[in-house]
Amino acid sequence: MNDLAIPARVLRGSAAARRARYSTIKMWVGGVCAGIVVLPVVFARVLPLPDPVRGALRETSLPPLSAGHLLGTDPNGRDLLSRILHGGQTSLLIGVLAIIVSGLIGVLAGAAAGYFGGWVDAAVSRLQEAQMSLPLLLMLLLVVALFGSSVPIITLVIAVAQWPEPARLTRALVLVEREKPYVAAARVLGLRRVEILARHIIPNVLSQVLVVVLLLLAQAVLLESALSFLGAGVQRPYPTWGGIIADGRELFVTGEWWLVTLPGAAIALLVLGVNLFGDGLRDRVRRAKAVQA
Amino acid sequence: MRRYLITRLAQSLLTVWFTVTAVFVLLRLAPGDPAVNYAPPNPTSAQLDAVRAQFGLDQPMAQQYLTFLGHLLRGDIGESFQFRRPALDVVLDRLPYTITLAMAAIVVTALISVPLGVWMARRADTAKELGVNIGTIAGQSMPDFWIGFVLLIIFAVNLGWFPPSGFTSGASIVLPCLTIVVLQIALISRLVRREMTVNLAAPYIGVARARGVSERRLTWGYAFGNSAIPVVTALGTRFAAMLNGVVIVEVVFRWPGVGELVVDALKRRDFPLIQATVLVTVVLALIVQLLVDLLYPLMDPRVRLGQEARR
Repeated sequence: MNDLAIPARVLRGSAAARRARYSTIKMWVGGVCAGIVVLPVVFARVLPLPDPVRGALRETSLPPLSAGHLLGTDPNGRDLLSRILHGGQTSLLIGVLAIIVSGLIGVLAGAAAGYFGGWVDAAVSRLQEAQMSLPLLLMLLLVVALFGSSVPIITLVIAVAQWPEPARLTRALVLVEREKPYVAAARVLGLRRVEILARHIIPNVLSQVLVVVLLLLAQAVLLESALSFLGAGVQRPYPTWGGIIADGRELFVTGEWWLVTLPGAAIALLVLGVNLFGDGLRDRVRRAKAVQA
Repeated sequence: MRRYLITRLAQSLLTVWFTVTAVFVLLRLAPGDPAVNYAPPNPTSAQLDAVRAQFGLDQPMAQQYLTFLGHLLRGDIGESFQFRRPALDVVLDRLPYTITLAMAAIVVTALISVPLGVWMARRADTAKELGVNIGTIAGQSMPDFWIGFVLLIIFAVNLGWFPPSGFTSGASIVLPCLTIVVLQIALISRLVRREMTVNLAAPYIGVARARGVSERRLTWGYAFGNSAIPVVTALGTRFAAMLNGVVIVEVVFRWPGVGELVVDALKRRDFPLIQATVLVTVVLALIVQLLVDLLYPLMDPRVRLGQEARR
């Protein structure tokens, strides 16, 4: 190995190699953080947990690490871990549905705006600008407070709040992509424009957009928790994370600190995991694209 | 320049009209009757009708909208249902608290995130920077109400250093401000890092370095000078967003600002008060945006306001 112009040791220490290593670290740490929260939430119904709704009257306000209640109980004797895991199902469901909807709207609107230009582009851009100038949280609260807090409404509200970001990115990427020779070749072959866009251009930009959509999951979970903290969250069948915190907000003064800190820690851990994973993935996708180009 | 200002003001007016109309329509479309909240308990239908007539809710919707716009042009948003005095006055009473909090937060954010971001850009891809980088990701991952409660539990309940809620003394602002700042520092410092790494890698830096310009001037004079526009824009946007977006922190700390007011107004369906809050915050946000745009030519002599292709 010593006859190489650049020894492996030096190569390993180079900025590019370090960046690659750091993005791997981020993805692993992020994946583990998110997994710690997601897996128990997904399997909440299978796990041997006390009932999240009916509490034991003799076991009220137990601190964490009590016998049978890992994270303690609330003043109604309900097991906090069970509430967090069951409530988390709704939080996660809303988050995932919201990014699917916002991703779909964003990719379609952004791709159309970038590829067709003209009035389509103008319409999409104006719509984005109009939305940016609205007070976001206020409008979300308004809609939810007025139209009720069901899973579809909250999902839709979050999706509408989030579509501009994937749309902007898709538009920018498509603008670059449509000038490439293969698009011209496809047109010469007589493919219709919609076909070129759907079958050739969108698949080529999708990997970069999907990373951003994944990162939106973090935002969606935070937004949902904020809404339900303010009392505009889904209440059935179980309160979501923000709702559990709102329930406990009067109680930390009397010493029951775990009722607000632990559900929040679950949110923070999940969001941190998604953000780290997405950040590492973004570095990696960007590098792969750079190598391709 | 004058033409630019006129266009901008016209656009802003359009945004204001769009917003108040959207809110108006949403409020009227929503199920639920505000009169129930303001009639005596167990009201008869005659009592409910009386309340509706008092608030003008018995009129047809188009009629209500025209009356509303007419009054709006004269600067009158109507009387708050719950406070029984002009809604605008109620909001303006609370506004100084929100502005104080937002100002304090944005100043702290700028003072910390700019040096932090520059440091991260200069040390990009080292082990130390990775640590700080992950720290900033953590900063944007924590729900702000959760940060607020953790700070409250540690510093107000257990240590007793700061008052737990409301606005009682100057020290009251510390914890709410700290809560807001965590997220803002994370966002802005990452932006600064991104902009600075691009600029520090630009050829003109190499040329200037070869000419013997000191590293400090390279960083702050050359690279940061060219990163200033996006950073100032982001600070302005964040500040504008805070004027209507510190709702959660205000609720957590019972800060007597606009955010706390609007949550209450939504619950009680106080239509004029909701309208007044939205109107005031949108107008303020638009003013901040305009001021930031007017700063552009000062930061970059190439910028001519009102001409396309700014960069």
